Amino acid sequence: MSLIEQFIERAKKDPKRIVLPEGQDAQIVRAASRLAQEGIASPLVLGQQDAVAALAGDASLEGVQVVDPADQQVLERYAAAYSSRRDSVTGNMARRVVKRPLLFGAMMVAEGDADGMVAGISRPTAQVISAASLAIGYADGISAASSFFIMVLPGDAEKVLVFADAAVAVDPTSAELAEIAVVTARNARALLQFEPRVALLSFSTRGSASHPRVDKVREAVGIARQLDPQLCVDGELQVDAAIVPRVAAKKAADSPLEGNANVLIFADLDVGNVAYKLTQYLANAQAIGPIMQGFRLPVNDLSRGASADDIVGVAAIAALQAGA
Amino acid sequence: MDRDEIKQRVIKVISQVLKVDESQIKEEHTFVADLGAESVQSIELMAGFEEEFDIEMDEDEALSVQSVGPAIDFIAKYLD
Repeated sequence: MSLIEQFIERAKKDPKRIVLPEGQDAQIVRAASRLAQEGIASPLVLGQQDAVAALAGDASLEGVQVVDPADQQVLERYAAAYSSRRDSVTGNMARRVVKRPLLFGAMMVAEGDADGMVAGISRPTAQVISAASLAIGYADGISAASSFFIMVLPGDAEKVLVFADAAVAVDPTSAELAEIAVVTARNARALLQFEPRVALLSFSTRGSASHPRVDKVREAVGIARQLDPQLCVDGELQVDAAIVPRVAAKKAADSPLEGNANVLIFADLDVGNVAYKLTQYLANAQAIGPIMQGFRLPVNDLSRGASADDIVGVAAIAALQAGA
Repeated sequence: MDRDEIKQRVIKVISQVLKVDESQIKEEHTFVADLGAESVQSIELMAGFEEEFDIEMDEDEALSVQSVGPAIDFIAKYLD
């Protein structure tokens, strides 16, 4: 069973309410149908009942709740909640903000009417992040959105690594890098059910090079240990000292990771993005993601070309994040 | 509505949403780099302009406007 199939099976054990704001998209409607029919989640689709039904075609909408974002009563409730949290936004402005589907969906999550949101098939990632950060906000101790990839490496025994950040945070400070390390570890534990062993990577191992960029990574390790004292985290390490026990024994004999890191944190988006694509194409790894993180409640992004099956997988991931 | 009046009202909205004194807001200022907006606040600025002028703006076009002068010109198009 593939990892995504395992996520789907686990999501079925405790189906969550997942809002899909882009009910004008046929793939979204088909995905909602499958989520409901297979008991993976209780989908909430934003749109007009007739329009959603027309897009569904032969697919059953039993168990799919269609929510009209023009419903004045709900709109008023969300507008009031939004403006009460943002003191520079008047009630009338808030009404205009929350009637937009991504914001409406994010407000459903923020107000407890849904457990997570999956969006972005028709909108850029930046708008999904914007809606989530305005309506839901960040988790305690987290100041920005980030993302991670689950990399499934082929072989007799499938090896799974988590890479972060390879899609969102361009040039994190040491404090932001520490947050990415801690929040990625938390998500790795929730989704993959393993104990995270987190390496903050650099071109230097234990001061083998000196440069402000090395200092940034080393500082991030210190901050990450303060944020989560129980976390098994180390750095700065070169990637071979992080994932090859023989090299670790030589270059970083005192490392608690012992060359068995399973969560790799990259210093910036250049290296993160290149690393995940190299692993995907040269090592034939499957890359699952980017999975968004850092928000108080789960919000996940879709690629523009996502199929109904892709959306079901992302919804299952959001459901597991919601249950964590 | 002439451009000066639009400008004055645009500046009033920016001042309210971004909590910047009106006298500090210049046409050449960008919302994020010069006026300290978080990039996620674009949607709130847009809602503020729509409310002030009672218009509905195209979301993608509106979100591509990054500074004060172009925002004035963009809004003026809706008021013609």
